[in-house]
Amino acid sequence: MIDEQKFFAWLDGELGEADGAEMAAAVAASADWSRKASDHRALQSRLQSAFAPMMAAPIPDRIGVEPSDFGAAMARREASRASWRMPQWASLAATLVLGIGLGTVVGSGGTSSPVAVEQGRLVASAGLEAALDTQLASAPADSGPRIGLTFRDQAGALCRSFSDGAASGLACRDSGAWRVRGLFQGPGRQGDYRMAAGQDPRLAALIEDSISGEPLDAADEQKALGALR
Amino acid sequence: MASRQELEQQLRDHWPRLRRFAYALSRSGPDADDLVQEVAIRALSRCDQWQAGSRFDSWLFRITRNLWIDMVRARGRRDKRSAPAEEAERIGHDPTSGMEAAIDLQTAMKAMQRLPDEQREVVALILIDGLGYREASETLGLPVGTVSSRLARGRTALLKHLGG
Repeated sequence: MIDEQKFFAWLDGELGEADGAEMAAAVAASADWSRKASDHRALQSRLQSAFAPMMAAPIPDRIGVEPSDFGAAMARREASRASWRMPQWASLAATLVLGIGLGTVVGSGGTSSPVAVEQGRLVASAGLEAALDTQLASAPADSGPRIGLTFRDQAGALCRSFSDGAASGLACRDSGAWRVRGLFQGPGRQGDYRMAAGQDPRLAALIEDSISGEPLDAADEQKALGALR
Repeated sequence: MASRQELEQQLRDHWPRLRRFAYALSRSGPDADDLVQEVAIRALSRCDQWQAGSRFDSWLFRITRNLWIDMVRARGRRDKRSAPAEEAERIGHDPTSGMEAAIDLQTAMKAMQRLPDEQREVVALILIDGLGYREASETLGLPVGTVSSRLARGRTALLKHLGG
């Protein structure tokens, strides 16, 4: 009869040599416990690799010096999350269908779709891709998508928000492409090219949930785009 | 007592682990970032409380966890186990269905969210961070037996949620 907590202690290397050897023999003699040992080892390894991106995120330049009001910031984020629950969720789905199906939600000119599905990923293409690749937020193009914020996400990937009169969204670098993480139709704002990316509350919430640290400044933005080439 | 510069360096060394732990507690990247910055502020202002020779990481984990608990209490947040809206929101953030690294984290967090806080913190410290039972018990201020039984319940539930 194997005691479960002792079994886990053995699995975690917490048993002494003699107890450990005894447990190892007992586990080896039982197909059920052997399977359980292997399932739990696999579980731990999956958890560790799932959390690995958190370890790779950049460390802020300045630590322990920012005046922070954590409670207030958290409350603000929670409020912005609460502001787009189910109804917006449904409209997001509709927007995506529109984006994929019509291909004209974002971008202007040209006949190619600004978003495409590649290997199961929704990625930027055509004019949107070009804008994401090259356009500086400080130097917007006369027409087409405009770039809002450029920042690093929690896994260190470069992300940029974009907007057009009709839609706004967020795309991040992933395996050599701009993967679209969110695309939102801007109801009633068609044609308003002055709308800054991030003003749509859903996009603002998405950015806030994705961003690590502060947005890149103009110099860092240029450097980051240069590194893509 | 260590100088501020030395402490800052130590904080940097431990930053990724602290952030990962903060994320497991808060379930949000921005909350985790803010929490760790707050931890750094506390640690730097209370460096006299850290006893040289004791483990710096355990001390930081303890500050992180206490700060998080204070925050949750202060805001009267309850029922942290059920967050279906947050789940929907995370799914909504990723419009594709491909299973990749980021989604693995999401999947893991969805399962972690279903654990009570007291099991989740033990899982985060021992299974994910790799602390020993004794270190975790010191960090959490709990007897080793309590840590070990919470860990057993937590990992068994996780295996059930995530499959073998």
